[in-house]
Amino acid sequence: MSTPISELLDAETVQSIADEVWPTLVGDGEAFVPLPVAPPAEAVSAWVDIRGPWNGSVVLTCAPATAAALTESVLMTRPPTVVDDEDVKDALGELANVLGGNIKSVLPGESRLGLPQIGSAPPTGSLDDVCRVAGQWRGQFLTITVQGAAVAPHAERIEEKPL
Amino acid sequence: MRALVIDDSRAMRRIVGSILTDLGFEVREAGDGRQALDALEAGGKEGWVPDLCCIDWNMPVMDGLQFVSAARANPGYRQVTLMMVTTESETGQIVKALAAGAHEYLIKPFTADAMRDKLAMLGLLPEGVAL
Amino acid sequence: MTLTATSFDWVRQLVHRESAIVLQPGKEYLVEARLLPMAQQRGLAGVSELVEAVRTRPDPASTRRIVEALTTNETSWFRDGDPFMALTGTVLPQLLAARGPNERLNIWSAASSSGQEPYTIAMLLSDAMPDAPNRVSITATDLSREMVERTRAGRFSQLEINRGLPAPMLVRHFTRAGNGWEISPTLRKMVHASECNLAVPFPRMGPFDVVYLRNVLIYFDLATKQAILQRVRQIMRPDGWLFLGAAETTLGVDDNWERVVVGRGSAYRPRKGN
Repeated sequence: MSTPISELLDAETVQSIADEVWPTLVGDGEAFVPLPVAPPAEAVSAWVDIRGPWNGSVVLTCAPATAAALTESVLMTRPPTVVDDEDVKDALGELANVLGGNIKSVLPGESRLGLPQIGSAPPTGSLDDVCRVAGQWRGQFLTITVQGAAVAPHAERIEEKPL
Repeated sequence: MRALVIDDSRAMRRIVGSILTDLGFEVREAGDGRQALDALEAGGKEGWVPDLCCIDWNMPVMDGLQFVSAARANPGYRQVTLMMVTTESETGQIVKALAAGAHEYLIKPFTADAMRDKLAMLGLLPEGVAL
Repeated sequence: MTLTATSFDWVRQLVHRESAIVLQPGKEYLVEARLLPMAQQRGLAGVSELVEAVRTRPDPASTRRIVEALTTNETSWFRDGDPFMALTGTVLPQLLAARGPNERLNIWSAASSSGQEPYTIAMLLSDAMPDAPNRVSITATDLSREMVERTRAGRFSQLEINRGLPAPMLVRHFTRAGNGWEISPTLRKMVHASECNLAVPFPRMGPFDVVYLRNVLIYFDLATKQAILQRVRQIMRPDGWLFLGAAETTLGVDDNWERVVVGRGSAYRPRKGN
């Protein structure tokens, strides 16, 4: 499908999905707030791929410390219990999964969701096929990005070109 | 009442498991459809048969839909209520799951009350559960 | 945070009394967030001021709005089960036998809120009777204009449709609308939503074969309850059926009803010879 994500989905819809996901998955009273904050030095991303008439990914990005805090909240752990990398991969992945599934249901046609993935760099997407909601959770940087699958190799090269 | 929670996410297994435990269920877990079938078989041998399976869709090795088909193909599991608990929520997917033999479908994100409502509807809430 | 402990406690008790929903300690932020718009609308400084105002001079409309604000997303389909199972199991066969083949069946959902109740009824009847869209008319009323508009729209969020709606009915009667779901046009046409304040004389309505007056009488004092029940009886068919909330009864309120056991619940019918 050549229709870009910006014509299929808007920031308001992504926000309304986050408004349902945060209180139920992250915890009562928790919220993703669409007010941007400065990005951190280091970031971690969790994402799910969508395959169907539209191909792309739903990516959650935040600082590693935020990821750990999110995990603690999702798993409802209390000190002295500490969350490990496996827990973070799991909780962040599930968050991306639930966001992804709900975003996918807004898209036309039959699509399938991939298994969650996590990494220090988000996957490369198509430059002009992006819906990004820059925001915060508990005052910390967090973005939700819906991006089309990278199509042409030359698009990637342009992105890597130093300024 | 006994439940088998089938989800590749440990976080989700913990969340669903804790809701079910609060509702009086004895809970066991499995990380994918294959593990779930093995758990059913092993459980059957010791007389542990779940009343309810909560099943995620997207899992490695064997996904939830495949598990539902396999479970329904086995007459020994006829009494087990199969409920999808998943973020997959296109109409066509819900139809597909029900057609494969799932009895109910709970969409993520869900609240503990929503789980409770579904179980009450299915007649699976143990008697005397406090409001 | 403007909410005092006393205010939170009063709200907590109100919500539990009127809806059985429990607000745990720690949910003060929720009360704050949900009631702030209402406080601001009245030109009050904060939620505690609103609560004080309503607590010292309670009125049904305000207490209802407070409960509604805190129970959004909590309304379930087929609430309590029995009064809806009774519709297809007991009531419908008797009505069809008693009415002519071309007579419309009129049903009133008298506190329809965001629409779950009237559409539950629409789904059940549509599944039970192929000609339901032509034969059944469901009047849905609510005190709140906002709720009436929600019912008219027939749109529900993901969280709302998770509450007690059987999945086969979801796929049969709803289509996806953005991240939410919308009731089918056929069923939407069966429901006619309008504003109605039960505490004053009703607009021209009815006569109704079945009335659902569930979990709303609790907001009124005894005299008003009696007046409402009398007005309801006047616009009901003599062989009609009244369903109240699970914990409600006409006993001790209005003698003009006969309680009938239906399934595991009850219904009330106009007492004969009045």
